[in-house]
This record gives sequence, structure tokens and C-alpha cells, in this order.
Amino acid sequence: MTLSSSPSQTGLIGRSASALRPITRSFSRRRRKDVIAAYLFLAPGFALFALVILYPITRAFQISLYHWAIAPGTPSEFIGFGNYSKALHDPIFWRGLVNSGFYMAVTVPAQIVIGLAIAVLLDAHMPARTLFRTLFYLPVVTSWVVVSLLFRYLFITDGGLFNWFLHDATHVTGHNIDWLGQRWTAMVAISILGVWKGVGWSMIIFLAALQGVPRELKEAAAVDGAKAWARFRAVSLPAIRPVVAFVTILLVMGGFNVFISVYLMTQGGPQNETQVLLTWMYLQAFSFLDFGYGSAISFMLTLIVFALSIVQLRLFRRPSEAV
Amino acid sequence: MVVGDKRRARTLLGARLALLTVGAIVLIIPFAYMVATSFKQNTLVLQLPPQFIPHRPTTANYREAWNSNQFGHYFLNSLIVATATTILAVLLSSMMAFAFARFQFPGRRLLFGLLLIGLMVPTMMLLIPQFLLARDIGALNSLWGLVFFYTAMNLALNTFLLRSFFQDIPRELEEAMVVDGAGPWARYRKLIMPLSRPALATVAIFTFLASWDEFVWALTVINDPSRRTLPIAIALFQGEHQTSWGLVFAASLIAIAPVIAIFVTFQRQFVSGIASGALKG
Amino acid sequence: MRLSRMLVLLVLTAIVAVTAATAGARVSGAKKTTTITFWNAYSSDGPEVKRLDKVIIPQFEKTHPGIVVKDVPVPYDSLHQKLVTGVAGGQLPDLVRSDIIWVPELANLGVLEPLDKSLPDFKALSSTVFPGPLATNFWKGHYYGLPLDTNTRTWNYSTTALASAGLSGPPKTFAELKADAATAKAKGLYLYAESGLSCWNVCPWIWSAGGSITNSTYTKASGFLNGPKSVAGIQMLVDLYKAGLMPNIILGGTGGLGTYDGITQGKYVSTLDGPWMFAILGGSVKLAGTTIPAGAGGSVSVVGGEDIVMTKSSKNKAAAAEFTRFMLHPWAQNQMARAGQMTVLKSLTKQLVKIHPYYSIYLKQIANARPRTPTPKWPQIDQVFQTELPKAFKGDETVQQALDSAAKQIDALL
Repeated sequence: MTLSSSPSQTGLIGRSASALRPITRSFSRRRRKDVIAAYLFLAPGFALFALVILYPITRAFQISLYHWAIAPGTPSEFIGFGNYSKALHDPIFWRGLVNSGFYMAVTVPAQIVIGLAIAVLLDAHMPARTLFRTLFYLPVVTSWVVVSLLFRYLFITDGGLFNWFLHDATHVTGHNIDWLGQRWTAMVAISILGVWKGVGWSMIIFLAALQGVPRELKEAAAVDGAKAWARFRAVSLPAIRPVVAFVTILLVMGGFNVFISVYLMTQGGPQNETQVLLTWMYLQAFSFLDFGYGSAISFMLTLIVFALSIVQLRLFRRPSEAV
Repeated sequence: MVVGDKRRARTLLGARLALLTVGAIVLIIPFAYMVATSFKQNTLVLQLPPQFIPHRPTTANYREAWNSNQFGHYFLNSLIVATATTILAVLLSSMMAFAFARFQFPGRRLLFGLLLIGLMVPTMMLLIPQFLLARDIGALNSLWGLVFFYTAMNLALNTFLLRSFFQDIPRELEEAMVVDGAGPWARYRKLIMPLSRPALATVAIFTFLASWDEFVWALTVINDPSRRTLPIAIALFQGEHQTSWGLVFAASLIAIAPVIAIFVTFQRQFVSGIASGALKG
Repeated sequence: MRLSRMLVLLVLTAIVAVTAATAGARVSGAKKTTTITFWNAYSSDGPEVKRLDKVIIPQFEKTHPGIVVKDVPVPYDSLHQKLVTGVAGGQLPDLVRSDIIWVPELANLGVLEPLDKSLPDFKALSSTVFPGPLATNFWKGHYYGLPLDTNTRTWNYSTTALASAGLSGPPKTFAELKADAATAKAKGLYLYAESGLSCWNVCPWIWSAGGSITNSTYTKASGFLNGPKSVAGIQMLVDLYKAGLMPNIILGGTGGLGTYDGITQGKYVSTLDGPWMFAILGGSVKLAGTTIPAGAGGSVSVVGGEDIVMTKSSKNKAAAAEFTRFMLHPWAQNQMARAGQMTVLKSLTKQLVKIHPYYSIYLKQIANARPRTPTPKWPQIDQVFQTELPKAFKGDETVQQALDSAAKQIDALL
């Protein structure tokens, strides 16, 4: 498990592609065959990825440097980082950032904790296991458009399901909450939708991970007399740590990329109160036809997510693990 | 096991079931409402407070949805595209994940980093550049074009997921095969893939779902009504001024059926102890 | 291994299936016909698409052998996005049923064909349609399309709710509106519900009060949008809202009781809306319509509708022109009128009322209805309405202040 222990190999890992050294005779022939094999395994997928994803990313970045004119043949005005500085001075951009951040901060821990809890509960021989797994996964499977409209309806102030439950049925609140009429209650409503829809997703990833934890390890801990929670903390949790790591990273990415639910539940309103970065970007690009600005907003979002991902990778990295 | 342990085990099971049932009910309520509405008639205006049991249940919405304007044809289109995408994406991403997880090669970190960047970029932003690309390579207005693009769009996430799983497979097994003279492809096919069934099943489910549900790209590139996919057909049930909720919900529930089927089939692959069994033997 | 063999089989099956699915489409292209594509947002749920596909297009193809029309309905919310992407990629259809507010934008992008130049019978065609809808096609000296269907907003109310509110009839003037609203509130109902503050919602009130958004050449908003009469129109709404006589959905939040739901439940008496309201609610509510209550400027409403536009990139302009003429012919217009699409032909007004009696009010209202400012920047201008006006309703600013800042921002856009 310790590939990085050999100094020459560490040196190789530490280099970036641009500093490729010719493979010298000090490597065995099998080593070279392995490298070629690696490239062969990588080639078809990566070629497709590079063409369909990476190349458009560079085009999009190019667009962000212009006052881009949509119609082909019309000249576009080069403005360098003008769109980016426009974003920095745009109060709604910052508001969108805060809103996206709030959504992420609420939905990510909730999905991890609840998803993990359900996965733990389901990681056992029990009746109706398939049924439960399917039920929890159902929200994931339903289309975002349909559930966004459904939840918008459920959060209606007078008579919607949530207010009916909170106010009429259980009298938890004194009056009907105008969920979608203000910024923070609306963001909470949208976040509830996000958690509801995403819990099943993290659940099955955690379930797959938990079931990959060798049973002997779990049983060994049981023989030692450890209680269930301690057992979990000592055996399962560390074993699924990399899984928790990347689920977190992915959920953070997804959280910042929230779009459809906001678009359909509040349209970013009222008065741009609930705009998230992507709804604001969509408005700029497809309604106002300012694609340069829209691309710039997207790239700033990417930068933020990238920075956060690096931080998370560092936090989650095990000392012996090389990336 | 002692009798006391057995009783403890049973109460534990009971507690598990109780918690799961409560959780499932809470999660299912919005869903139940969808189902109830789909069996109601004349649902242009949703009722407040929400009714869970329709007065006079009817299957009219389902019949109308299925019989409307080639719905079955769009269903088939989506099925073909999603299936082909899933197979291709799982194949290509598992190969890439194998390379990233098991080999050292120049540029490994850079290439993986590029993959991650592909994951981070909002897909909306790429809509126009990808449209221009699709136009240039002739992938417009075709189901094959959709498969091509959908596969690419799913590669980053799948590779990311699978690499993590592959990394956790013990190397001793692989090294044993190497000693026996097995090449990389044999190791991939005979060892890594079978051992990663849970992960592969997970990735297959996600990819199928993503392609089945994808709306924006399909809407942008498909013009021929005969090549439409299901999400577009469902969106067309929402009128400019009104929406027949029962119809939309019924159509959406029909659309959910295959994904549930795929899920139920593949989630049987989550069998614990495969790796441990292999370790023992 | 079984897995890989299964994989290969599945891939082969997929290949065969996809080829089969697309083969059908390839075969049909063998005949020597001109195919024109027609993008629109007719809703699949209603009778519009059915009538187009099953009645109108077959009739056209029968009378014009050699031309095939491919109807591509797109969900309304996505049509603009699809058009924009199409412009960027140079992949536009021959004809589009475009919302009237997009026509200046598309014309400005240079993708539309100026029909007044390319159709020899344009003058004849344009004289058969209402002038208001025709004007929505005008941009920088040329007409880039022809009206296809039109609509406007009238004062629609539930007669049952009106009676419960203790009123004998709908208000005819601003003054009656204010008085009736108070009467209704005393009985627990809202007389008038409006669902937002975009121009579509409030411009009828500005115009009916005698105000306007811009000058007649659409170049300046200051002095017009924030002129005394425009202010008076908005002030009336603000006064109603502040007195609790209008529901708060006017602020644009999505959580309140919508106009249709409210009217169906008997909580709202009336709203402004187009002819589709009768088609949607007519079955469950006793609806009636009348012209908008008149202010100092009379009873003036806003023009909506769709134009049919031809793209410059079309390779079948002659065939597309034929279809355009066909769609503007009384026969086709009559057909679509039965499907709920109000005609643009002056000659069909009598038939329209025979098809649906509620059209008579719409015909009356549309006679002097005004279009929203034709400019490519309309979406931004509408945004200004929706961000500035709520401040007056919430009491953060006076109506004059809100309209002043709105006019200033709109000036910058024009």
C-alpha cells in the first residue's frame, strides 16, 4: 500500500506533466509497460472528456474575456477581465455567493449525517431491506423540475402542507410562515428540498462503502465487547473515511451549483433576494444575452469550488496517502 | 449466542425498523401527494390544503399521458440513450479509474486534476461552446450524439467515485496475479471489476439516472420531435398559462418506473463480504 | 468472463437499437420535397398542437404539394433559450412563432428576414391585421415578421364572488375601483388581485391613468415613466395595497395564493388576464369579463401575443413565405381561434365572437391596447420594473422616487 515509499517513485509522482523526463534505463521494462498500459486505459475516456468538457471550458473562458456578441460573424469586443471586475462590484453577485454558500452549508452536513445514519441502519440483514432502500432512493430518482414545482406548492403560505403541519396541526408556529416571500425562509425551504432529494444519493454511496468493510473486522470488534457506537467509530468510520471525503467534496460542488430548484421555486426573487450564483448567471446569459458576464460568473464559481475542494482534500488526506 | 444477546439483537432490530419506517414516511409524504394528485381529475388548480386521498380516483391522467403524441416513443428513446450511456460511461470510467488507482505515470496528478476541474464547472456555462462543438462534429439532432455527450458528461464523477473504491482493494490479490503473469487487462477484467460490484452498481445507477433525467442539453440539440427524450415530453405538458398537475405527475411517475427497476436490480449487487471472502481464500 | 460478454452483447444491442430508431428518420428524407421547420410554444396539453398537426398542416401540405412542414413545439419557458443557442450556433429553423417581446431582440441580432422587403405582398398582408400587433414587428425601419395571434388583458371576474362581495357590477373607473375594493374587503374578499409588478402587470394602469413609459420614439423614459400621470396610476395601486385591499402576491413572491387559485376559492373577485383564463377556469368558475376600469387616459390595456418570423438563414424562404401566408389566411386563423388563439385579422372579428362570446370584450379592449417598448433590452427593462416598484409598495420609497430611479435606469438601457 506504500507506493510512495521508494524515492525514485516519489520523485516521479512529484513531477508535473510538463517536466516529463524520458524513461531511463533505471526503470525495468515492466515499469515502462505499466506506464503504457496506464495511458492505454486512460486514452479513450480521457480523449472523450477532453473534447466534450475541457475544450468547451477553454472556449467559455475565452468568451468571458469579451463583450461577447452571440450572432456568428458579429465582432466581439475584448475587455480582458472586465467581466470579472464587474462581478466583484455587483452586489447581487455577492448576494448570490452568500445564498449559494448558505445552501451548501445547510444541505451538505445534513445529507452526510442523515445519509450515513440511514446507511448504517440499513447495513444489516433485515426484512424489507430492498423496500426501504428503494423508498429512500425515490426522491433522488424523481426529476428536479417536478419536485421543485411540487415543493413550491407544498410551501405555499396559506394552506401549504408545511404550514398546515406547523401551524394548524401541531401549533408549533403562531402564524403561517411566508416561506417563499423572504430571503432566509425561502433559502431554508429550498435547502429542505435539497436535503430531501439528496439524502438517498449519499445513502447508497455510504451503503456500498459500509458493505465493503470486511465483515471480519466488524465481527472482531464485536468479539472484543465494544458497544455499537464505539465499534462504528473504531472500525467502520475510518474504513469509509475516503468515501466520506469525496461525498463531502461532491456535495459541496453540487451545493454551490444549485440552480433548478431555486429557479423554479422562487425564480431568484422576490427582487433578486434569493438569487444564487447560477440563477443570476442564467439570467445574465440567456435573458440579457450577456454571455461574457455569465461565463465570468461561472468561472468565479468554479474558482471558489476549486479552492474549497483543495481545502477539503487537504483536510481529509491521510498521511500515507498520495493523491 | 446467549439468550440475552438474542433478545438484545431483536430489540435492536426493532429499533432499526422503527427508525427506518419513520424516516421513510417523512421522506415519502411529498411523493405520496404526487401519486394522489396523479389519480385526480381536473387538476389545473391544486387544492389547498393538500388532499391525500382523491375523491374519485381515476387513471385518466395516466392514459392521457401514455397516449399523448408518441409518449411511448419518447420513452423508448430515453431508454436507449440512457442504457447506451450507462454501459459506455461505466466501461470508460472504470478503465480510467483503474489507471489512476493502480498505476504511476507521468502526468497522473495533472490529468486527475483536469478531471476534477471538469466536475467543478457548472454545465450551464458550457451549453453554448458544447452546442458549437456538437454542430461541428455532426452530433446535433441525433440520439447517438446524445449518448456521446452524456457519456462524456458522466466520466468525471464516475471516475472519481470508482478510483476511490479501487484504491481500497487490497494489493496482495493483484500482486498475486502479477506473479502468475497476468497483464493489466486481465487484472482489470478478472479482479478489479468483479470485486467492485457495489461501486459499479452505484455508478451505473447514477449514470442511468443522470441520462434519463437530463433535460437542458436534450432540449437544445434535439429538434426532430421523433428523437425527443422523455423529460422534454413531460415539460411539454406544462402549458404557458396553465399546468395539468395530474398529467405532469402521472407522466413523471411513468418516467420513474425504469429507474426504480434498474435500482432494484442493481442494488442486489451490494453484497457484503466479497472482498473478505477473497482475502480468506 | 460472463460480465464482459454480457457487456459486449448489451453494447451491440444498443447499437442496433439506436440505428433502428434513427433509420426511420433517414429513410423519409429520400423524397424530393422541401421541408420547413416551424418552432413554436403551443402547449401539448391543450388543443393548439393538435389542431396545428392534425388539421392545419395537413391542409397546407395538401394544397401545397412538395412542401412538408415540420412542427417543433418547445416548452414556452425554454423556447427563448433554445433560440439564443440556435443563434449562437447558426442553427435556426425556417419559421418561429416568437413572443412579440423577443422580435426586436432577434431582429437586432440580425437573424431575422425583413419581411417588408422580401415579401412582395407584404403591404396587402399587413393591411389585413390589427395595427397594434403589427407594430410589434417593427424595428429600426423594417418589419421583421407578421402577427400570428394576439391577446390582451381584460378585467375578468367571478360573478359569484362579485355577489358575495356585495357588489352589483364590476368597477368602471378608478374611483369605483377604490370604493368597490373597500366594500369587498368588508365582506372578507379581495376585489382585485395582481401577481407581480412587471410591465405586463402594471402598464395597463399607467396607461389608463394617462401616463406612459417612454416618449413616442421609445428613446427616453425620464419625464414619461415618472411623469405625474404615470405616478398617479401606480399610486392608486400602492394606496390599495397599503390599505390592505390587495393581496401581497403583487410583490412577486411565489408563496402566496395565486390569482387562479384565489378566484376558484372565492377569495379574490377579479384579476386582469388574457382569453386563456376563460378556457382554463371557465368550467369551474362563472367568469365574466369587461374592459379595464378607466382612468384619466381611458381604459388602455397591454398587447400580448406572438408573431411569425422568418430567419435569414432559412434555405427555403419561398416555402416558408407560403406557410406564413397560409397561417394568416382567414381559414387557418379561424381554426386556431377555435383552439383559443385570438386572431389578428380584422375581418374575422364577427366569427371570433361566434366561436367564443368572451372574445367580444377582448376585441373591444385590444382596439386601443398598447405594446410594451420594443427594444432588444426589454428583459433588462422589465427587471427594472420588478426591482424598483416593490420599494414603493413596501413603503421604502415614495412612488415618485421609485419611478424616478426606474426611469433613470431605463434611460441608460434605451
